[in-house]
Amino acid sequence: MPFNEKQISGRTAGQENLEEPISWLYVAKDSLLRMSPMRLIKNPVMFVVELSFLVVLLMTIVPGAFPHLAHQNDRVFYAYVTAILFVTVWFSTISDSFAEARSRATAANLKKLEKEGVARRIHENGSEGRTIETVKSSDLRKGDVILIEKGDQVPIDAEVSEGIAMLDESLLTGESVGVRKSKGDTVIGGSTVVSDSIVAIVNVNPDETYISKLVKMVESSERPKTPNEVALSILLLGLTGVFTIILFALIALSLLLNLGADLSVLIALYVCLLPTTIGALLPAIGISGITRMSKNSIIAKSGKAIETAGDADTILLDKTGTITVGNRLAHEFIPLGGHSERELAEAAFLSSWNDDTPEGRSIVELAFAKRFVPREYDALREGVHEEFSAVTRRSGITLVDSDDFTLPKGGREFYQRHRFRKKFELQTPLTEDTTIHKGAPDAIKDSAEACPDNYDDVVTRITSEGGTPIAVSMNGTVLGIIYFKDVIKHGIKERILGLRKMGIRPVMITGDHPLTARSIAGEVGIDEFVAQAKPETKYQKVKDEQAENRIVAMIGDGTNDAPALAAADVGLAMASGTFAAKDAANMVDLESNPSKIIDVVMLGKQLLMTRGAVTTFSITNDVAKYFAIVPVMFASIPALGALNILGLAPQTAVLSALIFNAIVIPALIPIALRGTRFKPQSTLRIFLKNLFLYGVGGVLLPFAAIKLIAVFLVFTGGII
Amino acid sequence: MIGAGYLLITALVWTIIIGLAWGLSKYLKKVYENEKTFLDKILDPVENIIYRILGIDRNKDMGWKEYFLSLFTFTVFTAAISFVILTYQGMLPLNPMKFPGMSWSLAFNTVTSFSSNTNLQHYGGGSTLSYLGQMVGIQFLQFTSAASGVVVAVAIFRGFAGRRDDSRNLGNFYTDMVRTMTRVLLPLTLILAVLLIVLGVPQSLGGYSLVKTLSGSFELIKVGPISSLVSIMQLGTNGGGYFGANSAYPFANPSPLTNYIELGGMMLLPTAMPFLFGRMLRMKKEGRTLLIASYGLYAIDLAIALIPVTTLGAGMETRLGGFSTALYTVTTTAFTTGSVNTSLAAMHPLVIMAALMGMMIQATPGGIGVGAMYMLMYVLITVFIVGLMAGRTPEYLGAKITANDVKLAVIAFLAHPVVILVPTALAYALGAVHAIGLGTGPVGFTQILYEYTSAAANNGSDFLGTTGNTVFFNVSTGIVMWAGRFIPIFIMLAMAGRMLDKKRSTEVALRTDNLIFPAILIISILILAVLTFFPFLAVGPILMHLEGIKNAL
Amino acid sequence: MKGGKLISGTLRLALVLALICGVIYPVVVTGIGQALFPFQANGEMAQLNNATVGSYLIGQSTNNSHYLFNVRNDSASGVDPDITVTSAMAQAQVIHNSTNISLAYLDGLIHNNTRYSMFFFGTAYVDSLSLNILIIDHFHNSIAVYGKIYNGLNTTGS
Repeated sequence: MPFNEKQISGRTAGQENLEEPISWLYVAKDSLLRMSPMRLIKNPVMFVVELSFLVVLLMTIVPGAFPHLAHQNDRVFYAYVTAILFVTVWFSTISDSFAEARSRATAANLKKLEKEGVARRIHENGSEGRTIETVKSSDLRKGDVILIEKGDQVPIDAEVSEGIAMLDESLLTGESVGVRKSKGDTVIGGSTVVSDSIVAIVNVNPDETYISKLVKMVESSERPKTPNEVALSILLLGLTGVFTIILFALIALSLLLNLGADLSVLIALYVCLLPTTIGALLPAIGISGITRMSKNSIIAKSGKAIETAGDADTILLDKTGTITVGNRLAHEFIPLGGHSERELAEAAFLSSWNDDTPEGRSIVELAFAKRFVPREYDALREGVHEEFSAVTRRSGITLVDSDDFTLPKGGREFYQRHRFRKKFELQTPLTEDTTIHKGAPDAIKDSAEACPDNYDDVVTRITSEGGTPIAVSMNGTVLGIIYFKDVIKHGIKERILGLRKMGIRPVMITGDHPLTARSIAGEVGIDEFVAQAKPETKYQKVKDEQAENRIVAMIGDGTNDAPALAAADVGLAMASGTFAAKDAANMVDLESNPSKIIDVVMLGKQLLMTRGAVTTFSITNDVAKYFAIVPVMFASIPALGALNILGLAPQTAVLSALIFNAIVIPALIPIALRGTRFKPQSTLRIFLKNLFLYGVGGVLLPFAAIKLIAVFLVFTGGII
Repeated sequence: MIGAGYLLITALVWTIIIGLAWGLSKYLKKVYENEKTFLDKILDPVENIIYRILGIDRNKDMGWKEYFLSLFTFTVFTAAISFVILTYQGMLPLNPMKFPGMSWSLAFNTVTSFSSNTNLQHYGGGSTLSYLGQMVGIQFLQFTSAASGVVVAVAIFRGFAGRRDDSRNLGNFYTDMVRTMTRVLLPLTLILAVLLIVLGVPQSLGGYSLVKTLSGSFELIKVGPISSLVSIMQLGTNGGGYFGANSAYPFANPSPLTNYIELGGMMLLPTAMPFLFGRMLRMKKEGRTLLIASYGLYAIDLAIALIPVTTLGAGMETRLGGFSTALYTVTTTAFTTGSVNTSLAAMHPLVIMAALMGMMIQATPGGIGVGAMYMLMYVLITVFIVGLMAGRTPEYLGAKITANDVKLAVIAFLAHPVVILVPTALAYALGAVHAIGLGTGPVGFTQILYEYTSAAANNGSDFLGTTGNTVFFNVSTGIVMWAGRFIPIFIMLAMAGRMLDKKRSTEVALRTDNLIFPAILIISILILAVLTFFPFLAVGPILMHLEGIKNAL
Repeated sequence: MKGGKLISGTLRLALVLALICGVIYPVVVTGIGQALFPFQANGEMAQLNNATVGSYLIGQSTNNSHYLFNVRNDSASGVDPDITVTSAMAQAQVIHNSTNISLAYLDGLIHNNTRYSMFFFGTAYVDSLSLNILIIDHFHNSIAVYGKIYNGLNTTGS
């Protein structure tokens, strides 16, 4: 399973269509502006190439200014060299401009989410009650209280203070599932309220919203360099220094020993030796990292965080949402004490109808799938609910006679409820009150009048298998047990295997019983887990791992996760999480998909690999360029021609090597922006593959390419 | 048939030396980690007397700056002592031949040369130096500069090993120096010196004798404290011979057997260093990596040198033959020793190129102590360049290589071409080359390039010899030798200081303790060296070689 | 204060080591050499007719003599005493021509003294001084030129 962008995003290609087209006019204009020496000096490698260009340009115009080093007859050749050097620098600025344009396109796409809208601001007027005024969303300030009604777009990030509503976040997440938001939840600017209405408190100023931050980040060209970029820049500066010394030493030697070298040839050798490929592409690679993160709806607060993600040794994975699909789902009805499966299932159905938790819904779904739909459902309206409480650890319903029926709020997709209604619009009145309880097996056991003999055995079996047993009783009689099971996310096992192959330790964090945790962990191939975890356990785990000098990546969403997120080297917060969590994290996932932490790590690795690969390629390329230019470098030493293994005429050799040097830059732009492809496998194998491709390939490819270019040059008859 | 014999001899030398070095490294680890050894009973009291004389705190664990400063100050004093002896030897005892003192510039060149473990000689020892000059002027510096290399390596190894349970630092310069002398160099040189005497190397303080030869003429028999000097010259990868003809002179190297023993002598300690590295780090495989890489490069060097047919030619010694001479020449540059058993001018251009490569790389395996230091520099650069391809911030020994580490490694790397190429160009520009009668062809260029490369690499083999005894070459090579010595040492000690406190992760993406990494390291070093020096090799030795081919056709 | 300690410590160390390495060590080695291996320690001096005629290790120029083995003049040290067996055989022919010493004798002499640069293969060579001393010693009574050299040694020895 190759690791590529599609997989990172986990989205369909349709999403890409939203992207603004890249403005080539902008790229052309911006790239030329970037050639200004004042701007280029930040990239020393390209800056010295530009200086070289100016020198050769001067040689073309006034060769007489370079006694012994330039010749009147070679002005055409100098003109060619001048042109190629210009194009070399231009290619490098084009790659910058292109990366930035792409980044802007992503930003523009995200900006759509932040269209100027209107908001309804609520004023508390003491005794006179509330008044509502309509304001521009950009006028809202932190602390304002706003009303958002059905059909409204949420104007700005805010925390719900009253009411419950369904929101459509598809514009942000690409998934068209309604999300229920109630008091304390954060609603994100750009999402739409599809049912009900809420009152919310604005918790950011307009320019501080996550989208604004994201847009600002991807738009900013003044991005601070990441640690590895700084280190790489120093290496490139050092190499530039070495080659500059060599250039001057060669010029001096040629003059002192009358070796008859042409300055343009020495400069060509110099430029070919300079690590121009990586020098030109380094900024683009950096920008692409952020762009690719934001394409995946992740705001990285710094490029450093992405890079650190690539270094992660340990990933703390929340079981729920990452390894398993949301919550546990009903898997099996186990009737006990001579009751039938239908009795149990129907009672469970009734007791769960108003239970809007995923668990509750899964009971209804399972019963429906098994066609166990009770006739008493129309009595639900009059049912007396007993809410789940931590004391009784059960919930219940008492059904009385009724003739009306309404759907519970929220819950399943609309069409499914519709089918319910159509198929089962029969009415069978109940003759007597019926009380159904469901809950923890021991709680039900305590309240039941009689308990079947194998009750405890079934409970133990389910627990040991990693499941959760929920008992159901009707009017004090135990009907049976519902087997709740974790549902492993599709493909997660393979991804965890991928992590392990790459030497990253996945650690599962769960609030479950150790037995349950072991079973799930075993199923997906995780050795280490923390069971019965409390929020502070996560923090402790982060600290423990760091004490072993490991780099820890984790996700979190609750306020209690904030310390752990802050302590972790890479903290990814869910957009749906609390503000404290998002503030403490160094990345925020707008899709609130916990398994994306794996993608973040992979992306970080890809970014590092790309830098390494282009650097290696850039350096190994030099070998072939040497063999092209050195043999023809000194006019007075024809014996050096024996080294001319490519068999090139002097000026053809120089031009071919220079042309190769230039076109390799745009040729590698796709790799720079997209990243080198890799499969999750052992780091050694990944390394060796890259080494073979970019190291060995970097030595061999230019020999062939330079020869081909030379043949082409001769064929077109332009020179020599 | 004979080719197989050559290979067999080379393999035999390698096997014996690697075996001995492996064993020696066990002992060295005990010496530098203050473990008990069989010599304690004799040496502990001796060392205690020395420490009492020094009046220092022997338990003080030094940081990298203090360690460097102590080393540097110490070296300045040793050079000063030697300078005084050499300039005033005419008035000092042990001068039966009544040699006068050296000129200031020649003495400057000589002391910078020997104190930096270079041993470039712009004088002919047998006809310039008194016994006292040879002993205190030369041999003393050969000991201290060799010991400096060892203690620098040991301090750097301690840094790379990281802080363990205790809060230790890079070690104490004084105890390291004293223990290197008493427990390593003096016992080893004593054994080698006696062995060489048995095999015919003279050791006497009785003065030169004039004899009437068979043909009735008179001949000066230049006996002196030769064996004691040759043994430290080889073991300490110094290379500065008692005689101008160095190890070609029969008294310094009387037979094929002494030739191979001296060859092994210069290989022993540099070969032990990678093993010591592995042992001090408690990661023997990391030591193996350094060893394989340096011997791999050494093998490549040899292969280049042995392309030309190795028969006895003019400018060689009959008893040594062509092969041993080429092997010795490559080895002496690969280990940056610089003692020679031939006249370099007689060597084939490809041998010269191999020799130049050895000195440009300096880690093949390089000089005593510093060779391992340069190899670590290359390891850091290589790990950084290719390590990213494994998808992680590059790490060496579990420590992340950050911007500042790259900065240090790059400066150390950059220093070498600068101190070679700048003075080479200057020597031409200022007419100094012309002044000593060297032309503008590839031969003259090769000689000057070789001179500064040898000086910067602290090798000491040279073409110029006494013709280099001009104020320009004496002073310029003197400066190059100290720059080539102390800049990298300063930087790598700083690096060791940084490594000491770096967090070490247990998971690393790019392992350096397997057999793949040394191969990558070799290629990386070759490319880096080729990139830097190839145009100059092309102008010099390669051109000489190519012109030779053309002349032969 | 700290700088003072640095200077005094390193200076004292330099002086102590100058004494140990520069004086004590070579003197001790000289003592051992002179006591146990005086022949080698003093340069393997060659004796003939009770006179010291040079060192076996140092080649002697013989002014292209026709009755003695001549050294190579293109060696690295300039005092290489050894000549290849090929060269020795060629010179044996010359000596035979001028002295009438049988070629078989000279061949035997050369082969008895042949050594190899690689111990058991490589360049075959002989020490010219040894050969000359052996010839003079053997023929100083029968061949006049050798007798002259032989007798000359003792009278004007150094």
